[in-house]
Amino acid sequence: MLQLLQEIAARSSEWVELRYHVRRLKRISVRNGRLEESSTLRLAGVGVRALVDGVFGFSSTTDLSEEGIARAVSEAQGAARTSASAKREKIAPFPRVSLATGEFAVQTDDPLDAHPLTEKLELVMKIDQMVRGESEMIVSSAVSYSELQDEKVIVTSDGAAAHVIDAKPDFRVLAVAQKGGDQAMGMDSAGVSGGYADLFATRSPEEMADNAVRLAVEQLQAEYAAGEVATVVLDPGLVGVLSHEAIGHTVEADLVRGGAITSGKIGTQVASELVTLCDSGPSEFIPHAAGELLVDDEGVRTGRTVIIDHGVLRSYLHSRESAAHFGVEPTGNARAFEYSDEPIIRMRNTYIEPGTSSRDEIIADVKRGYYLQGLGGGGQADSNAEFMFGVREAHEIIDGKIGKMVRGVTISGNAFKVLKSVDAVADDFTWGLGAGHCGKGQLAKVDAGGPHLRCVVTIGGRQQ
Amino acid sequence: MNSEKLIDLCTDALDRTKRSGADGVEVYGEAMRTITVVIEKNDLQVSRAQKETMLGVRAFSGGRVGFASTNDPATIDEACADAVTLAKASPTDENNVLPQCGPNEYVSGIYDPASEGFKVEDAIEQAVKMLDIARSIDRRLILGDGEFSVHIGRRALVNSNGVSWEEPESLFVYFALATARDGEKVSNMDYQFDATRSAAAIDVEPITRRACENALGSLGAEKGVSFNGQVILSPNAAQSLFASLILFQANAKNVLRGMSRWKDMLGSSVASDLISVIDDGRLPNGVGTSSFDREGVAHKRTTLIEGGNLTSFMHNTYTAAALGMENTGHAAGSARSVPGIGPSNFEILPGNKSKDELIAEIDKGVLVTRFSGRADPVSGDFSGVAKGGYLIENGRISRPISGTLIAGNAFDALKSLSGVSSERERVFSLTLPYLRLEGISVTAG
Repeated sequence: MLQLLQEIAARSSEWVELRYHVRRLKRISVRNGRLEESSTLRLAGVGVRALVDGVFGFSSTTDLSEEGIARAVSEAQGAARTSASAKREKIAPFPRVSLATGEFAVQTDDPLDAHPLTEKLELVMKIDQMVRGESEMIVSSAVSYSELQDEKVIVTSDGAAAHVIDAKPDFRVLAVAQKGGDQAMGMDSAGVSGGYADLFATRSPEEMADNAVRLAVEQLQAEYAAGEVATVVLDPGLVGVLSHEAIGHTVEADLVRGGAITSGKIGTQVASELVTLCDSGPSEFIPHAAGELLVDDEGVRTGRTVIIDHGVLRSYLHSRESAAHFGVEPTGNARAFEYSDEPIIRMRNTYIEPGTSSRDEIIADVKRGYYLQGLGGGGQADSNAEFMFGVREAHEIIDGKIGKMVRGVTISGNAFKVLKSVDAVADDFTWGLGAGHCGKGQLAKVDAGGPHLRCVVTIGGRQQ
Repeated sequence: MNSEKLIDLCTDALDRTKRSGADGVEVYGEAMRTITVVIEKNDLQVSRAQKETMLGVRAFSGGRVGFASTNDPATIDEACADAVTLAKASPTDENNVLPQCGPNEYVSGIYDPASEGFKVEDAIEQAVKMLDIARSIDRRLILGDGEFSVHIGRRALVNSNGVSWEEPESLFVYFALATARDGEKVSNMDYQFDATRSAAAIDVEPITRRACENALGSLGAEKGVSFNGQVILSPNAAQSLFASLILFQANAKNVLRGMSRWKDMLGSSVASDLISVIDDGRLPNGVGTSSFDREGVAHKRTTLIEGGNLTSFMHNTYTAAALGMENTGHAAGSARSVPGIGPSNFEILPGNKSKDELIAEIDKGVLVTRFSGRADPVSGDFSGVAKGGYLIENGRISRPISGTLIAGNAFDALKSLSGVSSERERVFSLTLPYLRLEGISVTAG
C-alpha cells in the first residue's frame, strides 16, 4: 500500500496527502447482567486531501484499487478548485519540514489480540455481576470494554511515508445506588494506548468496580454543597479536565483564529508562575497515555509542546497550515479519526507539569475548602475559557483535614483566572482522562492529567 | 460496494450468515453520498466528498446474539462469520428476537429526486451565503464554525422472517456558530441549526441571523442578580434541559436498566398538565422521518406524554419483548452498531400564550437562550451557566447578563412549570416551545 500511495502521490503536480486507514473496533457492553452489545466493526478506506489554488479539497473512498484511489485524488482536487474562487484567505504552500518515514508502532508486551474476545466478554459479565453484588443499595450497573486497533499509511507528495500501528483499549464501570426516591451514580474508567495488561496497570477491574459502588453509595448519604467561591485542591483527573477542556481548546490554532480568548496573548502572563502546561504526543512521566500519537495524520513527528511555561503563554497547537500562518514549526496536532475524516487540530495528552509540594502539605494548608476528584456528569467550556464541570467526588477540607463528602458539586469560572489563582502544585502525576473520546466534529482519543494543585474556583451547589 | 444493489447486498449477506450457522439474521445497509462544506474563521475552510456503503449484520443462535459491521466488500464474509461467533459466545436471552413481517407502507416527502443533481458548487454557494449574511449584520461578528452538508442515499433492511425494505432519502443540514469580538470583549458562542429534505426548501438565512444576533446580544453582558424564581428557557435551552431528560426517561432501555425515574409511572403524572409530547416517525417532510426503523418495523406516531400524564415508552423489539409491551418502532442507530432506541420527530406541543405574554407576567426573571452545564438524567439535578442570558424586569427584557448560574431539579421543574409558548422552533429533529419554569436557583457569576 505504501508503494501504491507513493506512486499515486508522485503523479500529482499539486500537493496531495493520502492516508490509508484500516480500523478494527470491538465493543462489549453489559448492563444489569444483560449483554447489550458484543460487536466488531471493520473500516477500510483512503482519505485524500488536496491543496489547489490555496484551498483544500477532501474526498474519501472505500475503493482501494489504484483507479479508485486515483479517482478520489481527482475528486479532492476538483472540490478544491471549485472552492478557490469563493475562499477569501488562501493557504500558502506549506514550508518544507522534516516529515516522518518508517514504521511507528505502539509498544506493549501484551497485545490485545493475545486475548480472545470471549475472555473480554467474560470479564465484563463478571465485573457487572460484582457491582450489583457489592451493596443492596445498587439498583443498576453497567460495564463496557472497547478496543480500537488501527493501521495507517500516511503519504504526502512532499515526503511523508509513515506506517503507523496503534491500539487503544478502554474499560468503564458505572453503578447506580438508590435509597427511597433518591438515586446517585458512581463511575470509574481507564483507557490507554497499548495492550490488555497496560489497561489494568494502575487499577484492576475489581478495584474499578469497588470505586464505582463506593461513590454511588456514599453520595446518597452526603448533603448537597452550598454555592460559594472557595479554595480547592483539584486531583490529577480534574487538573487534566481543566487543562484539556478549558485551556487546551482555547489554544488550538484554528479556534485561536476563530476568535478564542488566547488570540494575541503569546508571551504574556496568563497563569501563575507555578503552572507549566503541555500537550505531548509521546506519553510523558507515565507510559501508555490514551492520547499517545507518535506521528500525526499529516506525517509530522510529534513531541512535547509547551503551551504555558511558568505562567507565560508560549505556543498554540498547530497543523502544518496553521503553523505556516503563524510562522512557527508544526506541533504534530493534526489528527483524523477515521479514513473519511480530514486532519484537524486536536489535542493529544494535555497536562500540567508536577511541582515541588507534597499533596498532603497542599491540603494541610487549607483552612476551609474542598478536595475535588474527577469529572462526573459532564461539563462544558467555551472559547473564552469559561467552564463548568461536574465533580465526581467532593469532600470538605476543614482546618487542613479532609472531612465529609458533599454531593452535586460543580465548578465553574474562567480557566485562566483559575490558573492565576494556583498557589501550590504537588510533585505527583497521573493520567486521568483515558476512557472515552474528545469530540470536535469528529472524535479523537486523548488523555489529560497532572499533579494535585490548589486554586480558587466557584462552587455551584444548591441555592436554598 | 455499489449502492444500486443495496438490498441484494443485504440479502446476500443474510444468506452467508445463515450458512455460517445462524438461526436468525438481520442485515441493515446504508449507502450514503455526502457533500460537506465547512466554514471556519469567517471563511470557507474545506469541501468534502464522501461515499460509503456500510452493512450491519446481526446473527441469532438459540436466543443469543452477535453483531458485526463492515464498509469493506472484501471482509463481508469475515463480518458474517464474526456475528455468528460472537452470538455463540454470548449468554442466552429469550428476548433476543427479530420482528415479524408486516405490511410495507412507505412515507413520502423524504427524498427529493432533484437532490441527485446537487453538486459541490451548489453547496459552496449556500455556505458563501451564510458568510455574506454574517458580514452584512455586523463587522464584529465571526462565523467561527459553520457547515452546509448534503446527504443522499438509501437504507435497506432484510431479516430472516421475510422483512424487506429499501428506501431512498435526501437531507440538507446547515448550522452556524457565531462569536462577536469587540476589543477585549468576547461574546459567548451561539449555535443554531436547521435541516430540510428538499433542495427547494433550503434557507440558511434564519439560523445564520439568529446565531449572529444572539452572539451580539451577549457582547455587552454584565453580571446578573441572584434570586430564586422564574426562568424562561428558549427551545435550544429546553432541548438541553428537558428534551434529553424526557427522552432518557421514556427510553424503554432505561426502563429495563432500572435507570428511568418513570419506570413504574405509565398513566401517572410526570409533568405539568401544560405538557404534551409526541414522537411521529411519519411526520410529513420531517427531518427524522422514514418508513421503517432500524429493525424494519414500520414507523408511526406515538404520544409519550398527554396533559402531563406518561402514556408510552419508546420501544424496540428487545425492550417490547422484555417488558411485555407493544413495540413502538423506535429502534434507532446506524448500520455500524446494534439497534438502540431513539426518537424520530420529537415535539413538545405548543401552549396558548405567546413568548412575550409569558415574559410580561414576570416581575424578576431570566431568559436563557442557551444552557451550558450538566443535567443528570438520573437524579434530574441540573446546574450550569446561562449562555446568552437576559434579565427580565417588570414584564420585559432589560439587559444581557453573563456567567449566570442556574440550578434546580428538572423533574420538579417539569411538574411546576407555569408556561408553554405558542411559538415553537425546530432544533434539528425536535420541535420545541419556550418554557417558563418556577423556583429555579439563579446565582450571579
